[in-house]
Amino acid sequence: SQPLSGRQAAELQSKVVPSKQILHSDNMEMEPETMETKSVTDYFSKLHMGSLVYSCTSKRKNK
Amino acid sequence: RMEASCLELALEGERLCKAGDCRAGVSFFEAAVQVGTEDLKTLSAIYSQLGNAYFYLHEYAKALEYHHHDLTLARTIGDLLGEAKASGNLGNTLKVLGNFEEAIVCCQRHLDISRELNDKVGEARALYNLGNVYHSKGKSVASAGTHEPGELPDDVRNALEKAANYYEENLTIVTELGDRAAQGRAFGNLGNTHYLLGNFRSAVIAHEQRLLIAKEFGDTSAERRAYSNLGNAYIFLGEFETASEYYKRTLQLARQLQDRAVEAQACYSLGNTYTLLQDYEKAIDYHLKHLVIAQELNDKIGEGRACWSLGNAYTALGNHDQAMHFAERHLEISREVGDRSGELTARLNLSDLQMVLGLSYSTNNSMMSENHVADNSVNGARPRVGRRHSMENMELMKLTPEKVQNWN
Repeated sequence: SQPLSGRQAAELQSKVVPSKQILHSDNMEMEPETMETKSVTDYFSKLHMGSLVYSCTSKRKNK
Repeated sequence: RMEASCLELALEGERLCKAGDCRAGVSFFEAAVQVGTEDLKTLSAIYSQLGNAYFYLHEYAKALEYHHHDLTLARTIGDLLGEAKASGNLGNTLKVLGNFEEAIVCCQRHLDISRELNDKVGEARALYNLGNVYHSKGKSVASAGTHEPGELPDDVRNALEKAANYYEENLTIVTELGDRAAQGRAFGNLGNTHYLLGNFRSAVIAHEQRLLIAKEFGDTSAERRAYSNLGNAYIFLGEFETASEYYKRTLQLARQLQDRAVEAQACYSLGNTYTLLQDYEKAIDYHLKHLVIAQELNDKIGEGRACWSLGNAYTALGNHDQAMHFAERHLEISREVGDRSGELTARLNLSDLQMVLGLSYSTNNSMMSENHVADNSVNGARPRVGRRHSMENMELMKLTPEKVQNWN
């Protein structure tokens, strides 16, 4: 039979190479999530668009 | 009036969040909610942004609460686009919390409304979100098992295949729309899905596309992600040299971006890759670099892994003294962090090493006894009695390439 030392070394060798499992376990790099956005300024600017446009054009006219 | 209006507070909250200070932004939004407003659309926008701010702050329970408020409000006022957006955000939040079934319902609602409104941009985004939910669902079930990518239970495979289909559908639309940034994201996650499915060639193709787009945008973080994912895929293709080249690019960019945690991960991957290449000196070099950063970041789990890997690499070189040292450190750390399986592995490694070094199991050795006190003296403190094996015997430890290939 295989001498003890040889068997032990053979057993040890089995622990030498890491399973590829550990490589993929937790380091997969995902892309970021995309969140939908709302803004009070969007709404605000829609509400006041008329007056803002008016004030801008009237300023230009004043120049 | 002396006090700021709800609108003014919300505007300041928006400004702060856009500037990247979500924490301060949250305070202003919460103050705006306290003041209150009759305008339900403004309130909906505040809830939505509070939800997103908490999402970015990783406070998902709070994010869930506010996105839920937003959804209720949007439905109440009959704002269909607002409802779609709130549903999408709620879906993303539920996904992170691991509630995949509800997340799917919400993301599907986002998709249905977007199609109803003929909103192509919304439709594409909903498809991407759905892909992400199915990907996470598949991954979470998969991580419970101990199989390799490609060897999957049916439910995992189904979820991942659905994810891939949603990413493909998303890609069709964003390609039509000419949205390169969205294409980049879809390619990245599609690549990772193929990777988990075991389609490593397809994973490489997708990540190569991701890399191309990242370079187009000068997006170094995305470029680094692509290199890392390419490295992972090449490992499973058995092309370790190519993998090492990609991991080296990852390491370069991690250093450039001054991200120590990512640098550590790249070193760890390189250490493992050189172990697969049986270049144990280089493996040790990278594992030591990983160890230093893990210690610096006080990452005990990383430190334990580094010690385990170093123990293995030194064993392969036949340097049993160093192997013992790191196996002991691995045992100590496993105990410290309460990692039972790590502790068991370390004990087995130690007993094996002691056998090789000629110590018997029955030796009343401090390392193997239950009331072990941490032995901080590094090498040489322990008597090495009756070492029977010469280093030549360690030739046996070299693995044949076939064995490495089949190692799973």
